[in-house]
Amino acid sequence: MLSEDYMLILKSLVNCIIPADDYPDGWSAGVGDYLINQFEGGLKDKLETYKSGLSAIDEEARAVYEQSFAELSAEQQNQLLTQIEAGQIKSTAENLPLFFVMVIEHATEGFYSNPENGGNRDGIAWDMMGFEVTQ
Amino acid sequence: MTDYDAIVIGAGAGGGIAAGVLAEAGKKVLLIERGNNLTFESVGRDHLRNQRLSHYGHNAGPDIEGNPRTHADGRTIRPHEGGYQNNAAAVGSGTVVYAGQAWRFMPQDFQMATLYGVPDGSSLADWCISYEDVEPYYEKVEWELGVCGDASRMPHLPEYQKPYPMPPLTLPHKSGVMQNALDNLGWHRLRVPRLINSVPYLDRPACTHCQHCVGFACPVDAKNGTQNTMIPRALATGNCTLQAETMVSELLTDDSGKITGVRLLTEDGQTEDVTADVVVLSCGAVETARLLLNSKTKQEPNGIGNNSDQVGRHLQGHYYPGAIGLYEDVMYDGVGPGASVATTQFNHDNDGIVGGGMLCDEDIVLPIIFWKRNLPPDLPKWGQANKDFMRDSYRRVIDVKGPVHEIPHPDGRVTVNPNMTDKWGVPVAHLSGTTHPETVRTANFMRERAFEWQKEAGAIKVWGDEQHLRLSGGQHQAGTTRMGDDPQTSVVDKWCKVHGHDNLFVADGSVHVTNGGFNPVLTIMALAWRTAENIVETW
Repeated sequence: MLSEDYMLILKSLVNCIIPADDYPDGWSAGVGDYLINQFEGGLKDKLETYKSGLSAIDEEARAVYEQSFAELSAEQQNQLLTQIEAGQIKSTAENLPLFFVMVIEHATEGFYSNPENGGNRDGIAWDMMGFEVTQ
Repeated sequence: MTDYDAIVIGAGAGGGIAAGVLAEAGKKVLLIERGNNLTFESVGRDHLRNQRLSHYGHNAGPDIEGNPRTHADGRTIRPHEGGYQNNAAAVGSGTVVYAGQAWRFMPQDFQMATLYGVPDGSSLADWCISYEDVEPYYEKVEWELGVCGDASRMPHLPEYQKPYPMPPLTLPHKSGVMQNALDNLGWHRLRVPRLINSVPYLDRPACTHCQHCVGFACPVDAKNGTQNTMIPRALATGNCTLQAETMVSELLTDDSGKITGVRLLTEDGQTEDVTADVVVLSCGAVETARLLLNSKTKQEPNGIGNNSDQVGRHLQGHYYPGAIGLYEDVMYDGVGPGASVATTQFNHDNDGIVGGGMLCDEDIVLPIIFWKRNLPPDLPKWGQANKDFMRDSYRRVIDVKGPVHEIPHPDGRVTVNPNMTDKWGVPVAHLSGTTHPETVRTANFMRERAFEWQKEAGAIKVWGDEQHLRLSGGQHQAGTTRMGDDPQTSVVDKWCKVHGHDNLFVADGSVHVTNGGFNPVLTIMALAWRTAENIVETW
């Protein structure tokens, strides 16, 4: 499982992907719980990739801002991620653009899939979209 | 003395029908299924593990572990992974979780080579039977299983002898919008016929218009598959034994090469040889070919039915080009299943194009599938803009698409991998090749028509992927034991009897020479009925 430090970076990353507005951010809606479930299930083989990817992002944050990624402002986080997405940041540890795309896929799975998977708490994402479930 | 009159292998669309017809005719039938009985509860509603989105698993079999296939690109593929070309493994198979679009093929679909010639390198061919041969069985399936629709408005087909037994499902708002656009364009406009009860029928209730139709089981049992129609009818006769969780490893023959029965493998590791006068293969286009290729005899050393090297070739499915449109107004009203309006304007007679396909609006798209597949390509994949689009636009998007009549290639094929076995110890299916490039050209032509439809309907933005060359067969697999008069170029005859055998039949999509520009299940069912009826009549 991921240590507390990793979880803080992951939480910030997830909340950049799904930020708060008048609906909750990804982490508050349960994306973290989704990922924790999946690290013992369908994403078990991705755990090491998560560790090295999160470390690499954090190293970039420290190199540029001399702070952990989790401590940056949302604006700084978004700027860093935009550069990562565009392939403008080279990391020897991990293919960062690919890592970021993967986390985006997993975070949105948690947020938009059925609540039984751990995310989308109380169907909040579906309420937001107007997807109603009837029998 | 044999154990059974007939053994039917595979309890899906074709096998369920064949077992029912044979049992009701008084034949003693063993119906074998490698999967299990499913219920609404066992299928569940997991948006990440179903037959529509199976990255982490699926809900109607086969088991993820112990059932691999291999691909020519070197991959070993598990059943829920892309490229496996999965058909559900369960009693009823895909008919438990399908959308139940109940299309007849068109008369022209049986005559593709005559109408279009044979593109270089393709194995395009005419069927050796016609629409008229199948028509009575289409009608039978429509009434015996239950299809809803509007037979008075099927302008691409000869007039129906009998209407559908049920009227169409309630029209969702977005389908009404798309219907008006078809009228404005002057294109054929029709209702999607479906194997769903729009009103109570055959002692089961009407559809409740939920949002989880395709990919899941029906909460009220209003979706008509073989698991709730012909298989229960077969069992009710007392003549049919259903044996689930059982694999057939090979067909058995006597010294002359005549089929005598099958070898069964059960989940607890037991092997049993069972004999019968007749054997019907209904395992789907990949597994039927695999079983024949794994059954080698002195007379047919490369697999039963395979002396002309035709078994497993011409693997087809359906490309699904389409277009997604964004509208100013809310289009979504939550009325499932959703796919309601279609056009058959472009199934044939397209200048410079081989064949064509049907287009229709789509069933309700689950939120996570919408996120993964339906977002505009220029939308940021993360951040506020992405969340805003999901929030503001999910209900303002309409998705239209449809199956393209594929142009088969002989090298798009199923073989057997001698170096890998499944959990039963049986050599696995190996997939290789692609469809013919003409399929891609037709698919991109149909994509452009889908764009036109969206724009006419008032879409303010339209997008949809271009199509590229690949092996098809994941959706609506067909073609691997094609039907024909000539044993040199086909595997089964016009009664779906394997050439050179008196008592071995195929009742699934494998026999399709080409797969139509429509969902093929009604054709699979109709041909299975025709085959089983002929088995009885010529017994």
